[in-house]
Amino acid sequence: MARKYWKGLEELKETPEFIKHKENEFPTQQTVEAFLSNDKLDETSTGRRDFLKFLGFSVAAATLAACEAPVTKAVPYVIKPENVTPGVATWYASTYYDGSSYASILVKTREGRPIFIKGNRDFGFTKGAVNPQIIASILGLYDSARLTGPTVSGKRSTWMEVDKQISASLKSAKTVTLLSNTVISPTIKNQIKEMSDAMTAKGQSFSHIQYDAISYSAIRKANEENFGAPVIPSYDFSKAQTIISIGADFLGTWLLSSLYSQQYGLTRMPDSKKMSKHFQFESFMSLSGSNADYRGMIKPSEQAAVLSYLIKGLGGNCAVSSTLNTQVKNIADQALKSLKSSKQSSLVVCGSNNVSLQLLTNQLNQLAGAYGTTIDLNNDVKLFESEDAKVIKLASDVIAEKGPDVLMFLGVNPVYSLPNGEAFGKALKKIKTTVSFAGFADETASLCSYVCPDNHALESWIDYRPTNNHYAIAQPTIRQLHDTASIIETFAVWSGKPRLGKDSTIAYDLVKSNYELLFPLGDFDYSTHNSCETLTGETRNLNPFKNGVVGKMPSAGALEVVLYQKSAIGNGQHASNPWLQEMPDPITKATWDNYITMNPVEMTKQGFVTTYDQENGLNLATVSVNGNKVTLPVFPLPGQALNTVGIALGYGRGANGEAIGKAAFQTKEYGGHDLDEKGGLKPIGSNVYRFVSTENGNLQFDTTGSLAKAEGMYAIASTQIHHTVMGRHSIVRETTLPIFTQKGKEAYNPAHTLQKLNKEGHHEEVPNSEFDLWDAHPVEKIGHRWGMTVDLSSCIGCGSCLIACQSENNVPVVGKDEVRRGREMHWLRIDRYFASDEEATIGQRKDKETFSYDKAEIAAENPKVIHMPMMCHHCNHAPCETVCPVAATTHSNEGLNQMTYNRCIGTRYCANNCPYKVRRFNWFNYPSYKKFTEINPAQDDLGRMVLNPDVTVRTRGVMEKCSFCVQRIQATKLVAKIESRVVNDGEFATACSDACPTSAIIVGDWNDIKSAVYSSSKNDRSYQALEEIGVKPNVWYKMKVRNEENDLLASLQVEKPVAHHKEEKGHH
Amino acid sequence: MKISNIQKVKPELIRLIIVFSILLFLFPASLFAQGEGLFKAKCATCHQPHKNGTGPKLFEARKRWEAAGEGELILSWVKNNAQLRASGTSARAKAIFEEYKGSVMTAFTDLKDAEVISILDWVDAQPDPASVAAPGAGGTTDGAVDPAAEEESGDMWMWIIISVLFVIIILSVGGVRRQLKISVGESSAEDDQTYLSEFKTWAWKYRLPVGLGALVIILSLIVTVFQGLGRINVVENYQPSQPIAFPHDKHAGVNGIDCKYCHNSVTKSKSAGIPTVNVCMNCHKQISGDGKPYAAEVKKIYDAAGWDPTVPGRYTGKTKPIVWNKVHVLPDHVYFNHSQHVVVGGIDCKQCHGDMTKMTETVKVQPVAELNKIEGNIKLSKPTLTMGWCIECHGAKGVSLGDGKNGYYDEIHKRLRDNDKSLYKKYLKDGKVSVSELGGWECAKCHY
Repeated sequence: MARKYWKGLEELKETPEFIKHKENEFPTQQTVEAFLSNDKLDETSTGRRDFLKFLGFSVAAATLAACEAPVTKAVPYVIKPENVTPGVATWYASTYYDGSSYASILVKTREGRPIFIKGNRDFGFTKGAVNPQIIASILGLYDSARLTGPTVSGKRSTWMEVDKQISASLKSAKTVTLLSNTVISPTIKNQIKEMSDAMTAKGQSFSHIQYDAISYSAIRKANEENFGAPVIPSYDFSKAQTIISIGADFLGTWLLSSLYSQQYGLTRMPDSKKMSKHFQFESFMSLSGSNADYRGMIKPSEQAAVLSYLIKGLGGNCAVSSTLNTQVKNIADQALKSLKSSKQSSLVVCGSNNVSLQLLTNQLNQLAGAYGTTIDLNNDVKLFESEDAKVIKLASDVIAEKGPDVLMFLGVNPVYSLPNGEAFGKALKKIKTTVSFAGFADETASLCSYVCPDNHALESWIDYRPTNNHYAIAQPTIRQLHDTASIIETFAVWSGKPRLGKDSTIAYDLVKSNYELLFPLGDFDYSTHNSCETLTGETRNLNPFKNGVVGKMPSAGALEVVLYQKSAIGNGQHASNPWLQEMPDPITKATWDNYITMNPVEMTKQGFVTTYDQENGLNLATVSVNGNKVTLPVFPLPGQALNTVGIALGYGRGANGEAIGKAAFQTKEYGGHDLDEKGGLKPIGSNVYRFVSTENGNLQFDTTGSLAKAEGMYAIASTQIHHTVMGRHSIVRETTLPIFTQKGKEAYNPAHTLQKLNKEGHHEEVPNSEFDLWDAHPVEKIGHRWGMTVDLSSCIGCGSCLIACQSENNVPVVGKDEVRRGREMHWLRIDRYFASDEEATIGQRKDKETFSYDKAEIAAENPKVIHMPMMCHHCNHAPCETVCPVAATTHSNEGLNQMTYNRCIGTRYCANNCPYKVRRFNWFNYPSYKKFTEINPAQDDLGRMVLNPDVTVRTRGVMEKCSFCVQRIQATKLVAKIESRVVNDGEFATACSDACPTSAIIVGDWNDIKSAVYSSSKNDRSYQALEEIGVKPNVWYKMKVRNEENDLLASLQVEKPVAHHKEEKGHH
Repeated sequence: MKISNIQKVKPELIRLIIVFSILLFLFPASLFAQGEGLFKAKCATCHQPHKNGTGPKLFEARKRWEAAGEGELILSWVKNNAQLRASGTSARAKAIFEEYKGSVMTAFTDLKDAEVISILDWVDAQPDPASVAAPGAGGTTDGAVDPAAEEESGDMWMWIIISVLFVIIILSVGGVRRQLKISVGESSAEDDQTYLSEFKTWAWKYRLPVGLGALVIILSLIVTVFQGLGRINVVENYQPSQPIAFPHDKHAGVNGIDCKYCHNSVTKSKSAGIPTVNVCMNCHKQISGDGKPYAAEVKKIYDAAGWDPTVPGRYTGKTKPIVWNKVHVLPDHVYFNHSQHVVVGGIDCKQCHGDMTKMTETVKVQPVAELNKIEGNIKLSKPTLTMGWCIECHGAKGVSLGDGKNGYYDEIHKRLRDNDKSLYKKYLKDGKVSVSELGGWECAKCHY
């Protein structure tokens, strides 16, 4: 068959423009004569000579001006705070809670400004696990759109005025309602109770309604029915040998997902031969689904059938139909087998907010014996106490103009997140007094009569009780940047205390006195230092398990719509955070957008394009649910169940141009916000909270609707447009647990060999290391040699490392347009590879003879997934170093590939020559070019404060890349030198290894043979990516081990018959 | 018995006397020196010989204690004043504490009695500068022009003037010659030459020397241009004005205050730290300079700290940070850590900053020639604060490896010795393992 090569789609399709210009190699240009004969030429005011004079003068002037060093000022403290040494970071232990994520954190401050957040591994039950939102929240502190003080009807006012007016309104009001997200602060809870009591005593009616945009109310209701207590239990994934998740993305967004991913990581260590078996049944390819050992594609309406099938399989009674298609049934059978063998160590979770489904889940957990082992009902989680029914009633009351006299909003944004938010927003002005405590003039706050902005979490004293047995303190790490006030202080003032302004200690005093009540023998300072305390929780009076009455299940439809959360954007409250907007989605790798996900198989059937790139976008389509419509691009997502689509919540923030932050809106190609016909700001993506329905008083995130192709194409900015690794096992390697435990390394992880002629003239397979183009660098055994291992088995692809790296290394944000051109600047990327039907597993060809690259490019309908973090490999024989004409990238004797910005002249040869494609070029001066004004925090006086002062901010025209956090290496070494001791193993951590919730990334001194990184690199699973090219990287990967049966793979991964070689050698 | 005893002892006694007399000859001087050293190290921060400061003047302090009838207690006071006060045996101790309320004296339990006495001896021997220094006052004041610099710049002007004169003379001589030629009648139409054609003819006639001369001139011009380019951004002698005329020589020199007392983050941080005003106030609460020419400067500190000298011990709370002009400025892409150099490397401040104890003027970036004059400094040739200067030092300075002094370097030494002897030998060829040999010339040591 004759192959046809084409250099562009235009050529392939033979468009008229292409044919017209085909013969001209260069585009036609105006001839010199034509140019000179132009009459209007003389009309230009500057002659050529003048122009040259100006040019010469300005060049000379600029050169001279550049020679003069500007005078730098230095302003020391007047009185130096005891704990601050200029140039040395101070760390504070604190706690993070934003209504959906919770973690014990450590905040790094330099000269009084917080610049980095990481998990606290020493204290708190979250054990150092954080998610991208928590790490990126530091940027929110410096958002210039934050309200700088209280407002009345949108106009800046004073606290005195606001307090006076609101106090008067509260006094005269008959009904007062406080709508908040789940309040887990004992102090605020007390204050609300006091307020309620005081008002009730005066004959006023006060109600407090808790509302989470993403509600988990069904779990509480199901537990109330089964155990008589409306609790969300503590789940312990680390104890589970069989994990079954029905549509719950417990690694990405479900409940305390960052904690669960840490626990999950503990069960994904094949070296200990004990590995959990993870089954996922879901419609949308979630982060959890991508990590599952077995993944079944089901429609949301089929969740009940799966649960019913499993219940029946364990001998339980269930009236619900359990008909499954063959593929799902096979996986369900495997799950049953695993459930039976793991006995008590099983855990079933379900992501639906349907009470009936949760009742079935509880029944299954009861049958599997999960209660008391992997599920702890006594130490229940205090988060997510959403009272959906009350919120829905409040909204309809307000819309019917029967709302309360005073309505206060704390930590919620119902105008954005309620299904009927728009109508609710319009009705708000009918309410006498509306008060918001939001830090931004968001969708709800901008419609309120008063906004009393709360401090940012990093500016506040506050206490938390996240679980029954845990008490935590959040301490401020910076003095308030603006004239904002802690919610604790504001409540106190409204109940009679005087307002004390910026240096007020009201919040501190109240938190402290509350602490002293809880811990009469405690030391507040000590607890603050640790950030938390263990508490003796209330004893729960739990009834023995009682089967619940199963009611209505999610209804089936021709098209079922799954509303999911992305792990970066979540419920949408961080939508103005450019780091999170630019973080590639773990599965789709798309940035700055939401879209309709659909299986490519189905897309082809319906006539949607399934490929896209820099120039070519995706088809638009309109999804209608209950009369609400959104038009979004249709994104090909292998693994999406057929006849279902997924759409991410959390987008479409600021639909009416609310001032929620510059980065929350679309920007134009050459800078500035993109405006619609009316001159309004365009939000990023569309808000699909309008699709949320209610069922039995619970908000439902699975629904049914219809889809119609819409006119036009839409450009997508994605960091990875290829889906598969096309059977190249030198990039990713994968095996199964049975193969790993039963066979030798040679079978599943063979060393790379090359053929060589030996003395006798015979071909001989010899290890790679025998071939070398370069002289060896003296990095082995002498001094340090910094190395890294990345365990692909425990890496879940969450993206925390990426955001931590961005925060630590001042990585610029480049925006959608630049990402689309492939110019994203992330030093660390996470490659996601799907399996194709040509592969036995990712990276392993099914059959060498019939392997087709064409087909291998296409991901399977329900593919396996591998996440592979990729950063500079610090090759000891680095190809980039040899091609740099100015020696701007050189090798250190500690094995680091050093990038020297001030020497780089931007030839980009190094990026060309890098086999891992990890070098990034500064195409623009991101900290000053107008294109990035809206999105790059470094362009903002306030946003700039987040920059790490130990890392250079790079300018235009230079290369940059992962440095292994060399600033941290140097700092660690210096501390060791000053303290006159060796560098201890584990002392040095890169930002990525610090942030990893599953400890998949290990770094350290490879020359220290007792170090974790050394033994990890010598593990049987360790290999080096693209080992055959012989660049000798200092990064090792540990191959992915999936806990599954894969007969095909087992027949391929066999130990080579080495006997033949030996025999041959014996002859000679 | 007795006699014999004496007889026995006598030779030894004589020997002893001889030794003792030799010692006597040396002892006062050494004790005296010890007293001075101890005073500067331990006391000078708060005490002056002749003036009350943060603490009282020490001149004849002993006499004052004796006058109070507690002469022997001064030693216990110096060594541990808190204990003495607590014991209640000394009325004077209480009185002093009352007098200087708020400032608690540090305990010096490590001082021996003899050492305390040596300090007091030295202090008592100091003449009162108020009576002695009067004739010499005003000898060296701030802002005096460095005569050497003036001479140099004078030279420059002289050369320019001479060369201008020279050119004028050449031209006028040529003119005279022309006029003479014309008047003599040698000139005709054909050789009515312009200066240019005349020069051309002349140059052709002497083409070898002219050519060589031109080559030399062109080469030297190129060299000069490149040297000039090399001086771009060289900040030697950079000396910005400062909001307060701070005399380093008085503080570090006359009063012998250790650099690290004020620049106290130098051992902990990358930045040495400009002293915060509260550090200044430790001493200047007492030293107001009333009636002295520098009173106005001290007043600026009071303004910054919000200290009201009219009401002793009263801070107004209105502070005003001092905006200094940074002298030693490194570009943003350079990472320099003071603690690395001072604590780990054991580099003296004067290696880079010069001898501040003698610096009468505002701080400036010392030229490398000045730095080289200082005893104990590593001699370097590249201009101060240039990268060449840094790496020159990194190449010259040795790192003490494997001497058991630093656990970190012991490990590095062990790995080097055990794993690559030949490399270690190569390093040791010049008798030391230099900073550069351990990676001190690598880019990412300072640029990241």
